[in-house]
Order: sequence, then structure tokens, then C-alpha cells
Amino acid sequence: MATQADEAKVSDRLPLTADEQQLLDKGTLTDRAIQARPRPYYTAMRKGDPIHYDAGLNSWLVTRHEDIWAVQSDPITFSVNKGYHEIQARGMHDEFRNYLRTHGGGYFPDAIMSDPPYHTRIRKLMENAFTAHRVKELEPRITQVVSDLIASVADKGHCDAVKDIAVPLTIRIIVEQLGLDQGIESKISRWSVAVTAQISAMQTREQMLENAAQIAELQNYIIGKMKEREAEPREDMISDLVHAQVTNADGTVEKLTFEEAVSLVRATLIAGNDTTATAIGNLFYVLTTKPGMAELLESIIDDDRKLNRFVEEHMRNEPPVRALSRMCVKDTVVNGTTIPEGAHMLLVYDSGNDDETVFPEPRKFDIERSNLGRHVGFGGGPHRCIGVALARMEVKVAAREIVRQLKDIKLAIPVSEISYVPTVATHTIESLPITYERR
Amino acid sequence: MGNLKVTYTDVKGETRIFDDVEEGTSLMELAKRQGVEGIFGDCGGGCACATCHVYVDGDWFEKVGPPDDIEFAMLDMVADVMKDNSRLGCQIKMKPELDGIAITVAPSSGF
Repeated sequence: MATQADEAKVSDRLPLTADEQQLLDKGTLTDRAIQARPRPYYTAMRKGDPIHYDAGLNSWLVTRHEDIWAVQSDPITFSVNKGYHEIQARGMHDEFRNYLRTHGGGYFPDAIMSDPPYHTRIRKLMENAFTAHRVKELEPRITQVVSDLIASVADKGHCDAVKDIAVPLTIRIIVEQLGLDQGIESKISRWSVAVTAQISAMQTREQMLENAAQIAELQNYIIGKMKEREAEPREDMISDLVHAQVTNADGTVEKLTFEEAVSLVRATLIAGNDTTATAIGNLFYVLTTKPGMAELLESIIDDDRKLNRFVEEHMRNEPPVRALSRMCVKDTVVNGTTIPEGAHMLLVYDSGNDDETVFPEPRKFDIERSNLGRHVGFGGGPHRCIGVALARMEVKVAAREIVRQLKDIKLAIPVSEISYVPTVATHTIESLPITYERR
Repeated sequence: MGNLKVTYTDVKGETRIFDDVEEGTSLMELAKRQGVEGIFGDCGGGCACATCHVYVDGDWFEKVGPPDDIEFAMLDMVADVMKDNSRLGCQIKMKPELDGIAITVAPSSGF
């Protein structure tokens, strides 16, 4: 018999228009057109079938805010470990794992993509590196990096906001934070794409092997760096992770194994890079396409409270991470929908942040929302994004430097020509040509 | 085992008293360890979410002091339930001056 998360709670399903019904029947997130412009599909699901089985993806899409919140608050029934590791290189994971064992120094499961109680231990060992107060100390250095980068393109009058600004910006910051080699940037960009592609469920076998080769190269590189720091620690995050330890209440000391540390350095490098770059790419997108946005940002740039709220509303309005996986470990009823044991699920943050019952007029960019902290752009529950403070800081500094150095920013291609990376995991613009003037 | 006392009223209004709290323990950690309803501590104590939001009762707020800018920015994200005596539990570490403190868990923002 199915267990019931909260038996009494079944919220209303709303009638659909004919178009919405058709979208619900025929639509799938594997469709690149829907991936790129998914909001009508989300709306149809939220209204009529809030936990919708997407046959093309073989996954249950959780689309209402309340249900996302309920699922992410129960990390035992809805497993990240199984949800993540079983979708990785979907259908080909034995080959993927063996490839890494042979060529990449080993197959290192993502220690952070795990379930409590193991996950609780891993989080504790990582958290000190990511507190908001620690990140605040980095602000001057981050500002310098961002300012230099934008200055380097400011006189040209045109650039690709994704390839020339967003991607190199976040890579330069993570290279500094982790203590990697200058000049490694272009490789990191390739490695990031490869890691993200492994969870996208959109790969052919050839693509999977190409991506596995990139991941092998990444692992060999970070293992080399970690061995150096093991022998000789420095003031960087690799050293922090290699030497991380916490003392439990009973006096015992916890450390990471080398395998865990490899996976965490890899996760920090990728998660702290690709997703934040996506957020900054999306910032250029809204500044150039949403009326009044550039003026709004300009008007609040020196008001710290409003700028913080601007960044948070941006994370609600255009969350870079579209959806992350869970696997349901036993038949469970969530809000009237029975999710079978072993079913793969996606928490569609992008849709939850558009839930009009929580955020009225969700497409309105409103920095004065009084419940802004309720958005799920960073997930929530025990798996809430660990790098949230650093991500906020990077987006905030980028917003500030864009306004300080550039004006009259315009999209250089029609909106309809903007293409997105083919993945269900993130909502990432591939290329965003813009024009502007130096301020 | 410490000997400091904390009176915690959870989000459902139930009051519990803990009298063996160790110095240095944050009010978030205490609540998580004891299963106080309404305290989640998602970010692990990094002042990077607002899921350990508490109201500091009566005169205790004077002793605890106001939030710094970083903490205020997080509390401001749950402005609909923020009050003058709001703090994040992860940012209040127990010390002898706070022995006997009384706090109430704030309700969730935004439904």
C-alpha cells in the first residue's frame, strides 16, 4: 500500500483550455523547443496535472511550489542519491563508470548527491568554506576580477554576453577560489559542459563517450592538484577540502576520504561555475528583453538592500537550474498523485517559482515581494544549494559592474533566435550577442 | 553537556525548556538536535538562507543585539514574517550572558 505524505492535502486541479490539454498530452521536456520556451507547458501542468508523468522523459515532473517544497523536505522517501546517479549517463552508466575507472583515475560517485545520514556528514565537512560571512570577505577580489573582465570588452561595443562575459567570469572566480592554474579556463568550460550533459538524458552513446573523456581529463587534473595540496596546503578551497575535518559532539573527528574529496572538488568546480554563468547570461537576457529592467537596475545600483532583492528576484524569475532529480524509493501519494517506487522525478524549480499561488503575477519582476526567500531557485531542504552565498555575490557584483561600465545594452539578434543548451537540468543560453556603449 | 538554559517555543506554540546547552552551540543547532518544529537550518549555519528564523522574546533581544548587514539581508527575504526582534538562530551562539534566553520560532514565509 502506498504511504501518504499528507493524506488530507489534495489541492484543486483547474480546468484547462484545449491548447493546454493538447500540450499536456503531447508535450515533453525532451522537445528542444519546449526546453527553450517551457512556460506554457509548465502552466498546463501546474493547472491540470501538477505532478505530471512526462512519457518522453520517463519522469514525473513536480511543478507546483507546495509539492516541490514537500518533496525536497523528505530526502529519505525522495532520494537524491538514486535520482542523480541513476540518471547519470542514463541507459549507459556501466560503460560510463568503466570508462572513468580505466581512463579517469576512478569512478567517484558524487558524495554530495547522496541521502542523509551520509549526506549530513558530507555537508558539514563542506559548509565552512561557503558561509555568507566568508563569501563577503571575497567581495573585493571578486569585484576586481569582474571589473577587469568587463573592462576588457567595454570598448569593443559588442560581444557575446555568454561566451565573453558570463562563462569566463565565473570560471576565473572558481579558478582563484579553488587554487587552480591560470590558463586552465577553456578546459574548465569544456569539462563543465561534459559533466552537465551526463545528467541531461539527451546524449547519444558517442556523445556520452566524448563527455566521459572530458570528465576523465578533469579528474586526472584535479587529482594531481589534490595530491600537491595534500603534501603542501595553501590558502585555497582544494586545500580546505583535502584537509577538511569536523569534530562531533562526542569528540570524534570526521574527515573526507580521498575519493569523496575528488568528487567534491569536481562538484565545486562544475556546480559553482556553469550554473552561475547561466544566471549571469540570463541577467543579460532580461536586461535586454524585459522592458524597464535596465532602468530598474541602474536606479538601485547603490542601494544594497534593493540590489540584494534584485538578485534574489532574478533567481526566482530566471532560475538557472531548471530542475533536479529525485527517485521515489516507495509508492508514495503526493497531493493526490501516486508516485510509484523506483520512479524518477524532476523538481521543476522553474515552474515552482512561477506558481501564482505563492508569487502573484509571477512574470512581473518585482523586487519588493515580501516572500522572496520562498523561491526554489536554489532548491531547498537539506540539499539547498551549498554555494548559494557565492552565487548571489557573483551575480550581484556582475550586475553592479555591468551598470558601472556599460550602457544602452541591446540584443544583437532577434529573441526568437536565442538558442539554449539541450538539457533538462539547466535553462542555459548558448550564445547571446549584444551591443552596448562604454559608460 | 553544558548548563545553559534556553526556552524554545516552536512554530506550533509548544514550549520546551533545554537546560543543558553547551556554550558555543547555536540556537539553530540546538533546535535541529532536539527536533524543534519549524527550524530547518537548510544552509547548515552559513547565514545563507532564512530557515532558522526566530523571534527573540522580550528584553533578551537587547542582550542578543541586532543582526549584522549579511544577516539582515537574509531576514529581509522573509519580510512578510520579519519583526523588530527577528534573528537567524544560526547566528546566535549560546554564552553565559544568554543563559535563560527565551525564543519563538517564526512561521514560514509566504503562503
